[in-house]
Amino acid sequence: MSRRAGAIVTSCLVLALGPATIARPDVALEAEHIGSVETLPMPPAAHWVWVADPLLERLVLIDLDSGRTLGMIDGGWGIPTVLFSADGREVYVPETHYARRSRGERTDVVTLYDTESLAVRGEVVIPAKRAHNAQPGGNAALSDDGRFAAVFNMNPGTSLSIVDLREQRFAGEIPTPGCSLVYGAGARRFVMICADGALLTVTLDDSGQAVSRVRSEPFFDSIADPVTEKAVRVGDRWLFASFEGMLHAVDVSGDAPRFEKPWSLLSDDDRADEWRVGGTQHLAVHRASGRLYSLVHQGGVDSHKDAGSELWVYDLASKKRVQRIELSNPGITFLGASLEFGQDWVWPFSGTYDALLSLGGAAVSNVTVTQGDDPLLVTSSAFSGALGIYDATTGEFLRRVQTTGNMISSSIHAPWGGTR
Amino acid sequence: MGLQDRIDRWLGGASRQLARKTSRRGFLARVGGLGVVTAGASALPLLPVRRAFAQREPAPGEPAPGTPQGDPNACEYWRYCSIDGFLSSCCGGTHRSCPPGTEMSAITWVGTCRNPKDGKDYVISYNDCCGKDTCGRCFCHRNEGDKPVYLPQRSNDINWCMGTREAGVIYNSTVSIVIGVATEDER
Repeated sequence: MSRRAGAIVTSCLVLALGPATIARPDVALEAEHIGSVETLPMPPAAHWVWVADPLLERLVLIDLDSGRTLGMIDGGWGIPTVLFSADGREVYVPETHYARRSRGERTDVVTLYDTESLAVRGEVVIPAKRAHNAQPGGNAALSDDGRFAAVFNMNPGTSLSIVDLREQRFAGEIPTPGCSLVYGAGARRFVMICADGALLTVTLDDSGQAVSRVRSEPFFDSIADPVTEKAVRVGDRWLFASFEGMLHAVDVSGDAPRFEKPWSLLSDDDRADEWRVGGTQHLAVHRASGRLYSLVHQGGVDSHKDAGSELWVYDLASKKRVQRIELSNPGITFLGASLEFGQDWVWPFSGTYDALLSLGGAAVSNVTVTQGDDPLLVTSSAFSGALGIYDATTGEFLRRVQTTGNMISSSIHAPWGGTR
Repeated sequence: MGLQDRIDRWLGGASRQLARKTSRRGFLARVGGLGVVTAGASALPLLPVRRAFAQREPAPGEPAPGTPQGDPNACEYWRYCSIDGFLSSCCGGTHRSCPPGTEMSAITWVGTCRNPKDGKDYVISYNDCCGKDTCGRCFCHRNEGDKPVYLPQRSNDINWCMGTREAGVIYNSTVSIVIGVATEDER
């Protein structure tokens, strides 16, 4: 632009904006306070979700209604794992640290955070052998009364580290040979999955010591049709889906688990069309309505971790599929910036971004649902960083929400606003 | 200086600053600084990359290096049928040796992959290279025969760097080593 043209443009700007933009002495800003730090309004809302970012090794709290990032918590080295107290007041993060970032002495801790301030209120050092894997859950669990946390160890022998959260102390380690992962199953009870398809029930006393470790008969064939690790809980039942689409419900209300008769998430026609369950975090349940959401794709054997194109919704009471939701790609975020463009362009060009995204399919790898009366479905893609938001009742795609950072979300958590 | 000149200068400065903040080089520098995986979105098809440095002569018993099944830098390489991680061969090592300064985990998970050259199934040991942080190049995730974490020796989701003497769980990349021809049970 020539200097003359520039001058004309700026003249027009000044004319258009008018004298209001020129400094007036009566609207000077007040001097502001230095040092303000936000806290979160309590209780935490149902539409707040935590998204784990394995590259920046942290968890980010997002308000799905406003799209705002509300805060974040660091996860230590590796893929973040997180637990939430039932009353919403605390967040617990099992962490691994090396003294010199990637070398030196290893220290594992469980860090206790206050939800309202997201500030550390304590930490408990645990044996430096907690498991590191790509699971979105199952690497740690809370006892149902919130008193104890169990952290799954694999070194490569398997065990649980028990943390007394009330006393903020390490209560002890419980060997669990041949059994892995951990799920809460009562006030003093945890269950683990064993290599032969059995469930190990570990019961604690009030000091966090194991009073019993009881192994069930196998409830599935771990070679022919294993269940995935990505179970969801509704009330006293854990729901596991197998590679071949069988749903195994396990009632953990008693001293010993009770295995319900498995039922199929897929009809013969679905199987003929090669529909399969799968994904990184492929099950979600809205507890109050008893609706189970299962991520599905069309693919062959060994596609159990492939991304999904549809969410199939089941009524748990009738064990019937009641809805199919076609998914959209959650979109791409790169270093915290959305690559979305052209939403305000003239139709039909306003759909250019969506059309380009759809070339790669929905590519949804993770799904969860918020609890409460107005549930939202939240989806993410392995290399996305953005979230796709749906009305969980109608299945309508509502909008995309950006996370803070990266191309990857390893897990999504919607812990608040509902009952167990 | 007149008001217009001052606004001119202010606008010019703002646009230069904007250009600096959004320049492609600055953008790439930030990407590089983070060491982010630039594998692209799974939503988009991966670009075919000509692998100019791939070896030209096939190793004995291996598929032709010009084919994806014979190229250790390609995710389609036959040995990678159950891998989940960054290819050591893209990170300073080879498909069967770790990058300099890392330590190879002694314990691992195994898969069974068919060699298209001889049609035989081989047991492949996927050992992790450890002690330097995530390589970030050539991410490859295939799940033939992969099983859940509670079957550790068959699960590619586990960080096997726990099996090192010195390096600890700091994961860098993964190699794929032929252990032997698979028996009927291992297929």
